[in-house]
Amino acid sequence: MKKRVLALGTVACLAIGALTGCGFTGSNSSPTTGGSSESAASTEAASNKTEAPATGDQILSVYANAEIKTLVQWAASDNQSSKVNNNAFEGLLRLDQNHDAQPALAESYDVSDDKLTYTFHLRDGLQWSDGTPLTANDFVFAWLKQMSAEATNGYSFIMTDYIVNGAEYNEGKASAEEVGVKALDDKTFQVTLKAPTPYFSRLTVLCQFFPLNEAYVTSKGDQYGLSAENMIYCGPYVITSYDPAVGATLKKNDKYWDAANVKVENAQVRVMKDASAALNAYLANELSQVALDSANVAAYQNNPEFSSKSEFRTEYLQFSLSNPVMANKNIRRAVSMAIDRETLVKAILADGSAPSAGLIAEGMYGNESKSFRDLNGNICQFDPEQAKKYWEEGCKELGQTPTLTLLVRDDSVTKAVATYIQSELNKNLGIDIVIDTKTVQARNELMDNDNYMFASTAWGADYDDAMTYLDLWTNGTPYRGSYQNEEYNKLINDARVETDDAKRLDMLLQAENLLIDEDVIVAPLYHRGSATLTKSNVKGLINHPFGPDVEFKYAYFE
Amino acid sequence: MIKYICKRLVYLALTLWVIVTATFFLMKKLPGSPFDSERFNMMSAQQQQAILEQYGLNESVPRQYVKYMGNILHGDFGTSFTYTGQKVSTVIGGRIGPSALIGLQAVLIGLAVGLTLGIIAAWRHNSGIDYFTMIVAVLGVSVPNFVAAALLQYYVALKWGILPVGFWTDWKCSVLPSIALSFSATAMIARFIRTEMLEVLEQDYIVTAKAKGLSPMKVLMRHAVRNSIIPVVTILGPIVVNLLTGSLAVENIYTIPGIGSLFVDSIKANDYSTIMGITIFYSAFYIFVVLIVDIAYSLIDPRIRLAAGKEG
Repeated sequence: MKKRVLALGTVACLAIGALTGCGFTGSNSSPTTGGSSESAASTEAASNKTEAPATGDQILSVYANAEIKTLVQWAASDNQSSKVNNNAFEGLLRLDQNHDAQPALAESYDVSDDKLTYTFHLRDGLQWSDGTPLTANDFVFAWLKQMSAEATNGYSFIMTDYIVNGAEYNEGKASAEEVGVKALDDKTFQVTLKAPTPYFSRLTVLCQFFPLNEAYVTSKGDQYGLSAENMIYCGPYVITSYDPAVGATLKKNDKYWDAANVKVENAQVRVMKDASAALNAYLANELSQVALDSANVAAYQNNPEFSSKSEFRTEYLQFSLSNPVMANKNIRRAVSMAIDRETLVKAILADGSAPSAGLIAEGMYGNESKSFRDLNGNICQFDPEQAKKYWEEGCKELGQTPTLTLLVRDDSVTKAVATYIQSELNKNLGIDIVIDTKTVQARNELMDNDNYMFASTAWGADYDDAMTYLDLWTNGTPYRGSYQNEEYNKLINDARVETDDAKRLDMLLQAENLLIDEDVIVAPLYHRGSATLTKSNVKGLINHPFGPDVEFKYAYFE
Repeated sequence: MIKYICKRLVYLALTLWVIVTATFFLMKKLPGSPFDSERFNMMSAQQQQAILEQYGLNESVPRQYVKYMGNILHGDFGTSFTYTGQKVSTVIGGRIGPSALIGLQAVLIGLAVGLTLGIIAAWRHNSGIDYFTMIVAVLGVSVPNFVAAALLQYYVALKWGILPVGFWTDWKCSVLPSIALSFSATAMIARFIRTEMLEVLEQDYIVTAKAKGLSPMKVLMRHAVRNSIIPVVTILGPIVVNLLTGSLAVENIYTIPGIGSLFVDSIKANDYSTIMGITIFYSAFYIFVVLIVDIAYSLIDPRIRLAAGKEG
C-alpha cells in the first residue's frame, strides 16, 4: 500500500518537474565584477569597496524596481521601459552627460524664422540593427503612430499639442498627409508646428519620438515588441533577451553610427522589486548601481561610492476647491505655510530629495543663464506664526474649526510624509488631521470623483520646461482641484503662442506665482531624490533627472 | 471508484463556476480602473474609446461577464491590461514554472526533514531531540518566511558567498528560496507526525507487535509510521497548493519571476483579465489537489471508502 502512495507521489513530482523544466531565464551571466565568491570578502557592508578586475567581459548591470511591462514605444509610459528603450533606440537628439540635448540621429537641424518649421538632417549611412537603412520615413511612421488613436501610452499630447493637424489626425478628422511631419527625402525630416515652441527640439530626446521601421513593425503585427527577436534597434545597444518579469540584456550595437564611442559591450536591466534585496545584490557585485532607500542612506553616505541628486519630480498637496473648507484660501495658505520642508527632506526622507521652493523643480530650464527656480525664487515659505494667523482667520470666515482629511496613496514613503504633515499641522496650527490611506487606483478614483479635501500627489516632468507642469491646471478637472482661473488660463495660452522667449518665460513665472503663491491651489512639498551607490570602477553611468532614465552610452569600466 | 471521480469532476466544474462568477463581479467593484488615470485623462476621447472597446469595457458588466464566460470556454483568457498585448495565458504560463519548482523543492525538503524530525521526536519522547523538534516546529510556524528568506540571503549568499543572492539564471538560484519556503511546511509536518505517532505508539497493536518479539525498528516502520502518516496526507494538500502557487515576499526578495507577485500586482493594478486568469488557475489547482488527496487517502487507509457503502 505504501508503495502505491510513493508511486503516486513520484508521478505527481515528475509531472510538476516536467512542467517546470523550462524555468530558468538568461544565460549563466557573470556579474559585474568577477565571480560571486568574491563577495564573501565584502562582509562589512558600509566599508565595502569593490576590487575591479581588468577584464574586458564586464557587464554593466542596473535594476528596475518594477516589471518592464512593455517595450512597444506607443504603449510604454513608465520609467522601466525607458531604461531599456533609451539605450536600444535613439531620437533625433540625445541627452549628453550634462543632460543637454545634442545631435544624435540628426546631424543638425534648421529652424525657420517664424520658428514654426524644423528641418532635421539625418546622418549619412544610418542603419537599423538588421542592416535596413534608417530614413526620414521611419520618423514619419513612428510619430504618426504616436499621434494616432492606436497609441495607448497617454502621451499623444506630447506631439499633438505642437504639430500641425496632430490633434485632428488623432480624432480621425485629418489624413496622414495633412499632418505636419514630412520626409522631404531619405535624409531630411521636416516638422511643422502650430505655435513657436522653444523646447521642441529638446522633446525629441524622449522615447515617444524614436523612429520605427514601418515595413518591419507591420510585418510583426501584434507580436511586435513582445520579445527581443521581434524588434530592430537603432540605438547604442541591441536587446538580446527580454522578459517583463526578469528584465532585459543588451549588447553593443555594431550598426550604431557612433559605435566607436560606446565602450561597454554588455549591459543589463534586471527587475528587482525589493530594495534591500537590490542592495544585497549590489554588495555581492551583481549590480553596478543601486538606489538606496531612506533607511540605508545614513549607513552609506560617507562611502565613496555614494552620490545623491534630486529629480524633476514634484510631490505636492492638491487642494480641492469644490470642498467648502478648502475653498477658503486662508485655510489653504495656513496648511502650506505650516509645513517645514527642510526638516522633511533632512529628517524623514534623507534620500537626496530637495525641499520644494515652488512647483517647478530645481535645475529645470529657465533661460540661457538661469534656471526657472532661480528666477522665481522660493514661493512656498515656511512660516509657522503667519500660518497660525491665516488659520484663525480662515476659521473665523468659515464660522467653525474644520477637521481636515488628507488623502494619500499607500506606499511607505508617502505614509511617512503624511504622518510628518500631520505632526507639523498639529505643532504649528494646533489641529489634528485625519489621514485617509488608499491604493493608488482608489485614490485616483476619489480624486476623479471630486470626493476629497486635499490629497498628496506627484508629477514628474515629461520634458525640460516649466510648461510640463503648468499646463496641467488649465483643464479645471476635479483631479486638479477644479481650479478655474481665467487669468491663469490666459497666461498659459498666451505662453503657448508667444514667439519671444523672454516674454514667454515671464508669463510662466507669473503663472507659477499665481498658482502657488496667490491662489495656493497646490502646496509643493519636495522634489524626489535618488541616493545611489555606484561601483567605483564604473564611470560615466548617467542618470538623467527626467524622461530617458539611465544612459549606458557614455559609461566605461576603469 | 471511476464513478466517484466523475462525480467529483462535475463538482469541480460547478465549484469553479461559482468562484469565477463571484470573483468577476466582486473584482468589478474594486475601486479605480485598470488604467493610470493621470495618463488616461490626457488621452483624447477617441483614444479612450478605442481602449475601452479593445478590452470590452464599454459594455455593461453582465454583458462583459457573458462574453468572458464564452471566451474562457474556448480557452481564451483575454489580453493583460498591464502587459500590453500579452495573452494572459502566456503571462501566467511563464510565471508558473519558477514558483512550482521552488514550491516543489520546498515540499520535498519539508517532507524529508519534517517526517524525520517528527518520527524521531515521538520515538524518543521527552528526550533532547524531542525538545529540539518542538523548538524547530514553533520557530518554523511563527517566523514568517520573508524573515527566513532575508536572513538566508544575507548570511548564506552575501556573507558566506555560497549561493547566489537572487536572480533566476540557474538551479543554484532556487536553493535558498526553496529552503526559506520549506520552514513552515517542515514545522507543520513534524508536529503532526509527532502527535499522531505518540497516539499510535500507545495502541494495543503496538504492544502486541512488541510482545511478539519484533525488533523496535520493524515496529516503528511497519506499524507505527504507516498508521501515523494518514493525517499528514490531509495537511499535505493545502501545503502543496500553498507552496506551489508562489509567495510574494520570497519571490520579491530573491527576484524570482513567479506567480505570487504577479497575483498581488494584478490586483493592485486592477488588471481584470490577469486577476481572473490566476483565480481560475489557483482554484482549479486547489480543487484538483484536494481530489488527489482524497483518492490517496483511500489508498493508504482501507478503512476509508470513497463512495461509502456503494462499493461494499
